[in-house]
Amino acid sequence: MIELEHVVKNFHADKNNAIHAVNDVSLTINDGDIFGIIGFSGAGKSTLVRCINLLERPDSGSVRINGVEMTKLKPRELYKARTKIGMIFQQFNLMPSRTVFQNVAYPLKDMTKDEIKSKVRELLALVEIGEKENAYPSELSGGQKQRVAIARALANDPDILLCDEATSALDPQTTGAILQLLKDLNKKLGLTIVVITHEMEVVKNICRKAAVMDAGKIIESGDVFTIFSDPQHPVTRNFVRTTSNLSKIETLIKDDSPMVQLKPGELMARLVYIRADVSEPLISYASREFDIEINIILADVEIVAGAMVGGTVVIFNGPRERINRAIEYYRSKDIRVEVIKDAGA
Amino acid sequence: MPELNVILPNLMKRLPEFWKACGDTLLMEAWAGGIVFVFGLIFGIILTVTKPGGIMENRPIYQVLDKIINLFRSIPFIILLTALMPLSRWIMGTAIYVRGVIVPLVFGATPFFSRQVESALAQTDKGLIEAALSMGSSPFEVIFRVYLRESLAPIIRAITITIISLLGLTAMAGAVGAGGLGDFAIRYGHDRNMIDITWVVVSVLVIGVSVVQWLGEMLARKNTH
Repeated sequence: MIELEHVVKNFHADKNNAIHAVNDVSLTINDGDIFGIIGFSGAGKSTLVRCINLLERPDSGSVRINGVEMTKLKPRELYKARTKIGMIFQQFNLMPSRTVFQNVAYPLKDMTKDEIKSKVRELLALVEIGEKENAYPSELSGGQKQRVAIARALANDPDILLCDEATSALDPQTTGAILQLLKDLNKKLGLTIVVITHEMEVVKNICRKAAVMDAGKIIESGDVFTIFSDPQHPVTRNFVRTTSNLSKIETLIKDDSPMVQLKPGELMARLVYIRADVSEPLISYASREFDIEINIILADVEIVAGAMVGGTVVIFNGPRERINRAIEYYRSKDIRVEVIKDAGA
Repeated sequence: MPELNVILPNLMKRLPEFWKACGDTLLMEAWAGGIVFVFGLIFGIILTVTKPGGIMENRPIYQVLDKIINLFRSIPFIILLTALMPLSRWIMGTAIYVRGVIVPLVFGATPFFSRQVESALAQTDKGLIEAALSMGSSPFEVIFRVYLRESLAPIIRAITITIISLLGLTAMAGAVGAGGLGDFAIRYGHDRNMIDITWVVVSVLVIGVSVVQWLGEMLARKNTH
């Protein structure tokens, strides 16, 4: 279990100017969780994750890992504790003068040559890159490098794996493969994984719980489905929109596309599902029941944490009073209705 | 070989002295070089790890070492040679001949090599340091297993450059009675206008520098992956 309490970390640009990289953050991450910390660049998430293994020492606050207060450890004890917290990075950080084998063997100590050999082979098999044992990092692709980095991070059988933008330098396909590997490792080894990212896709893909960070603070946290379906904070909404096709409507309106030009009496709205069990034929039912036309402009439904998240952008056409009744009906079904554009009654 | 006696009349008459000069130069290079290597490496590492943001950040140590190195780098070597005579007498027992110039050579080349090592180590990717620390390496392990190992090629290049610049210093040291090729060239080639001796000494130095450069480059390349 990772418990952060009131963690503060400031950087001093000069004597009078402090940057609050992490500003009073409290967070609990349970064993076996895949926990996402998401935020735009500069939000402080990289500093926060480095406070977990004390690569950055917090100015104040408490960092407890499995009940042990990290900030109170003596240097020797801290080095030992770090062997149980693996970390992988955006730029992989493999040592260029060492082969794949030597890189993975780097953190192994107090072992015989044969023990090291079998441990390294076992790790390389785990991340499915055994055949590259004698290659140098410069001979590997990005995805292969990250696999080696993961093997190296797992060398001392850690309980926790910290991933600092681990897929941000990879193409979407490779990202998917690495995320799948992390998911498998989480299941197979019971590894607690903390994922730092600015890509909502990554959180959506593997995290069960997440926290959203902005300006050094955690502004929203909870299970990923809730964050996606019903974001509370404007920054979170912004994030969720970046991953959804529904945000394209804003571009269309700005460009005054013919698709979004309304006739008198029409009303354009965004319908967003905020419940996990939407399966009713909402559009056709409302169309029939209230005798109005509902024209779907855009639709985007995705699976997040095993449930559907998404919605549609529609244009209602019909007598205004019936449109209003349809909107009332949707709201009663826990669908969020945001009016985007109204051509008037 | 009678032809050589015609082309290089002055040199051929002083062959034993020439060989001894070559030997003295090598001796100075080896002794001073060895000591410079040890001290320069240590100072270069201290500079790297104690500088702001380094893994053993320590402002006072960094500032003092930084200033001392700058001080010695700004003193022209010819002045250093004479200024350090008393120190040389105290440490080595003499201020002349090969033994007498080891101290000034070390003081002249160590600051240079320290800076070379510092800039070689600075090429180490910060991410590698961070990764090593995250795996539980202590600062000393980071120095030996990451900094030195990963910057092997740039350190070899730094050694190459320092050996060559030290060769220049040994020639200058000849002027204050150290012996060696510099002294040989000045005494005969310049003072007595024996052009053939100047040419031969220059040729030997050019060949020496080329060999060192080639060897260094080959070793550096072998250690780059």
